[in-house]
Amino acid sequence: MPRLWSVLRVRRSLTLAGWAVLIAALVGCGAKPTGTSGDASSTGSGGAGAPASEAPTTGAADKKPIEIVWWHAMSGPLGEAVNALVDEFNKTHSDIQVKAVFQGNYDEELTKLKAALGTKNAPHLVQVYEIGSRFMLDSGAVEPMQTWIDRDHFDTSDFEENILGYYTFDGKLYSMPFNTSNPILYYNKNLFREAGLDPDKPPRTFEEVAAAAKKLTKDGRYGASFAIYGWFMEQFFANQGALLVNNGNGRDGLATESLLNDEAGVKTLTWWKGMIDDGSMLNLGRKTSDTQQAFAAGKVAMTLDSTAALRGILNAVGDKFEVGTGFLPRPADAKDGGVIIGGASLWMLKDKPEEEKKAAWEFIKFVVSPTMQALWHVKTGYFPVTKAAYDEAIVQENMQKYPQFKTAVDQLHATKLSRATQGAVIGVFPEARQITERAMEEALSGKKPIQAALDQAAKEITEKIQQYNRSIGK
Amino acid sequence: MTNAERLVVGTGLLALLGFVLFPIVFTVATSLMSPEEMLSGHPHLLPEQPTLANYARALAGAPLLRFIENSFLVSAAVTAGQLVTASLAAYAFVFLRFPGRTAFFFIVLATMMIPWEVTLIPNYLTMVRLDWLDTYQGLIVPFLAGAFGIFLLRQAFLQIPMEVVEAAKIDGASHFWTFARVVVPMARPGLLTLGAYTFLTTWNMYLWPLILTNDEAMRTVQIGVGMLMFQEFTEWNTVLAGIVIVLLPSVIALALGLRFLIGGLGAGALKG
Amino acid sequence: MPGNDRTGRPNAATIAGKSKRVGLGLRLGEAGTAFLFLLPSLVIFAAFWFYPLAASIVLSLHLTDPRGRMTAFVGLENFRTVLTDPYFLESLKTTALFTLFTVPPTIGLALLAAFFTHVIRRGKGAVRWMFALPMAFSVGTASVVWGLLFNPSVGLLNALLGRFGLGPVFWLSEPGWALFSVSLVTVWLGFGFAYVVLLGGMATIPVEIEESARLDGAGLGTRFFRIVLPLVSPQLFFLAVVSVIGALQAFGQIHLLTQGGPMNATNVYVYNLYLEAFRNYRFGTASAMALLLFGLVLGLTLLQFRRLERRVHYR
Repeated sequence: MPRLWSVLRVRRSLTLAGWAVLIAALVGCGAKPTGTSGDASSTGSGGAGAPASEAPTTGAADKKPIEIVWWHAMSGPLGEAVNALVDEFNKTHSDIQVKAVFQGNYDEELTKLKAALGTKNAPHLVQVYEIGSRFMLDSGAVEPMQTWIDRDHFDTSDFEENILGYYTFDGKLYSMPFNTSNPILYYNKNLFREAGLDPDKPPRTFEEVAAAAKKLTKDGRYGASFAIYGWFMEQFFANQGALLVNNGNGRDGLATESLLNDEAGVKTLTWWKGMIDDGSMLNLGRKTSDTQQAFAAGKVAMTLDSTAALRGILNAVGDKFEVGTGFLPRPADAKDGGVIIGGASLWMLKDKPEEEKKAAWEFIKFVVSPTMQALWHVKTGYFPVTKAAYDEAIVQENMQKYPQFKTAVDQLHATKLSRATQGAVIGVFPEARQITERAMEEALSGKKPIQAALDQAAKEITEKIQQYNRSIGK
Repeated sequence: MTNAERLVVGTGLLALLGFVLFPIVFTVATSLMSPEEMLSGHPHLLPEQPTLANYARALAGAPLLRFIENSFLVSAAVTAGQLVTASLAAYAFVFLRFPGRTAFFFIVLATMMIPWEVTLIPNYLTMVRLDWLDTYQGLIVPFLAGAFGIFLLRQAFLQIPMEVVEAAKIDGASHFWTFARVVVPMARPGLLTLGAYTFLTTWNMYLWPLILTNDEAMRTVQIGVGMLMFQEFTEWNTVLAGIVIVLLPSVIALALGLRFLIGGLGAGALKG
Repeated sequence: MPGNDRTGRPNAATIAGKSKRVGLGLRLGEAGTAFLFLLPSLVIFAAFWFYPLAASIVLSLHLTDPRGRMTAFVGLENFRTVLTDPYFLESLKTTALFTLFTVPPTIGLALLAAFFTHVIRRGKGAVRWMFALPMAFSVGTASVVWGLLFNPSVGLLNALLGRFGLGPVFWLSEPGWALFSVSLVTVWLGFGFAYVVLLGGMATIPVEIEESARLDGAGLGTRFFRIVLPLVSPQLFFLAVVSVIGALQAFGQIHLLTQGGPMNATNVYVYNLYLEAFRNYRFGTASAMALLLFGLVLGLTLLQFRRLERRVHYR
């Protein structure tokens, strides 16, 4: 053996024994910091590495604070705002400690929730996007917010009825609206001036938008660019007072049929395609991040986006040009309509001890209080859910700083609550949205006639809705 | 090399380097630009007014340094584990005879073809049963062996001249000794390739750490990058700064790993 | 060189069955030793791959509710649903195209880059490092970076093309381009690893073989085709197999860049599988889809082993 060894001597090779030691060392330090999982008391606000078994801060010597876990999908500046709310709550409530946990985007969060439902790892509160509402209702795992509102005689008369409307089913409020937004028209006032348009009068109708877009298209710039985003389509339906699915948008009974091939859809796409065909609309695909960039760079004069993108867009634009905002356009002859509330709400899960649910309710009340809503609104650009928040000084200051935001609030208040503007509830919403987007692409590119593209998509969505209804035994 | 050959190699290298490096240079350069400059209307590569503000924002937006620590620990452990399990298994497949060897090899290989989508939920539930949520072992153990590594090392081991192994046998060496003292040292390029690959793949894991952990103190770097992108309007310059921060350790690891590969390879290791 | 007997086929001329002393001082047959060597891997595989696979077989035969729980046994119904889906064939075709657009270019470009690196004398270290850099990117980060480059109006790619009077190209929103663009990202992302594998293979070529060829006056072309290419064939074979498997399972870049669009142009099979499982949460059909994919990949890999591995040159 020595002979072989000397021949094959290789320096610095890791021996097996070396590996074994390394692994043992590494796995060894993997031992859990505390006995049970998920009992770390940091709020997730950057308290990384804080010892998990830290004692409660106040002198409540014999009573351990109740821990409430809240899953959310808020990242970036939104995540910071969430942590600010939670910190404020924990500071003022020594008997309850809320732990906010970021769980990825809405889809990832929902996947994780589905896996965790029925185990002790499920959270007390979870933020779910609006199109996940039907799933939450059908999951059988939630405690309606109304239960606590009634029990606590909590007054919701000051809440925005258009916001509550989305999350109210059978007259009961199921989840607490948390972050809400709707789409508005963003436009470049400087380009409006150059094209001889009134920068203080944004176009309101389909016809006016098309005419303005044409005028604004020159020197390699386009009049408009809208992302091919199913959400916009849903909003255009509501804005024309049209239903997206039958049975009162799935609110008078389980939806069974898609109405995507309705006249409202054809009208919207005919208008949209007209602008593409005459070269005044730039098609940048499905992502709003692409239209945002093109708008901020001054390459397109108008775009559609969420009210919650306002701050980001203003930052990216800087002082290159003046940004104006206007209502979501609608056909000149449209019936009554308005916009649907987008965003997400907070759901309470019912499989938790009564005492913990009560603590979770305390937190919810705290979050929707005017002061906290004002803070949340100012930090994120989402609407406050209570009207009283508008009286807070920081909100008024903010309105002065971002006068563009007034459009969003006016649009919300101009909306008349109806089945159309309450928005559709369907179990296969994310899937329906993607089918809609494909149909929009087919129609806008001219691959299929508009009616045919929408007929096909409506048929597919109807099939998926019925399949879903079967899977929940209805 | 003739001059013509030199020209071919030179231009070829430059063209390929251009393709590979362009997105990386873009990432670094744009992470130094303000959002306003990036969207100034005339796209350009190099920042005119470089700023570190994005880095400050990225570090404030997510506890990236803590995440780097976690990722480093997990990646190192997984890499070490995979090198052991894969080289042992590859040795068995190449140098040992046993009934059903081919079939066994395909069974191992088949794990590579199982779509991960079907494993996510069952494995999550296994972790719940083991009470391994929010632990390092939950992040490490499922990845301690992989068909990919076994296959890679099998190919490397197959290149080792049989005479060398035969010689060890004639000397009366045990398989374990032959494995540790003969085969593993000779297959160093393969092991380094696997090591670098495993380290970086583990470093780049996203969905599993996200699903497995709730405690921010246990989370890993890709979740950190995810935390910088947000629903309504993403500040891409901040995200790019976050990407650069997260890339740095792996880029350094890569440089060190490749140094190993160069050092002493052609010279000596293979000549018996 | 006793090469062919180690490609996995049994060979009578070996010393099978002979007992050896193992380090633990136990006397074990060769089969026993092999079992011990394989044991660590097998334990992990059983717990984290085969058990979920078995679970998915059960799921594929059931109807599931939106929480993913089984509600009724439906036999092969889920498989029928998948196979009769109007977009099934289209997505397989897209998958095949995606594989074709990504696997040969990745391996071809990496082979060229590795060979060029192999023959240069100065700057090797730096060149090697730079070529390996894409390995450090995750699918997510690479998609973010390329997504910004692709933006038709403010992205750098079109700005660059504009300098030559070309474009603008609608990289992701034009059906004719989208699959190409997504493939481009995939090639870039896979390049680093293929390069390092091939370079590792080239590094094990004994110096004297190439030295003597050089002294014989062999040109670069001859060295490449006669020496380097045959001697890295084990690595090429490995890359061919794993890249095909990887391409058939790639979906992250598609999810982040095009979401299968426009007009299904990038709607590869596994993306549908991902959506079915984690967006639609129909675990029954998703499991059926996964098992079909598993069968397909297994078949293709067996074919590659039978067809390609014969031509691989092992020393």
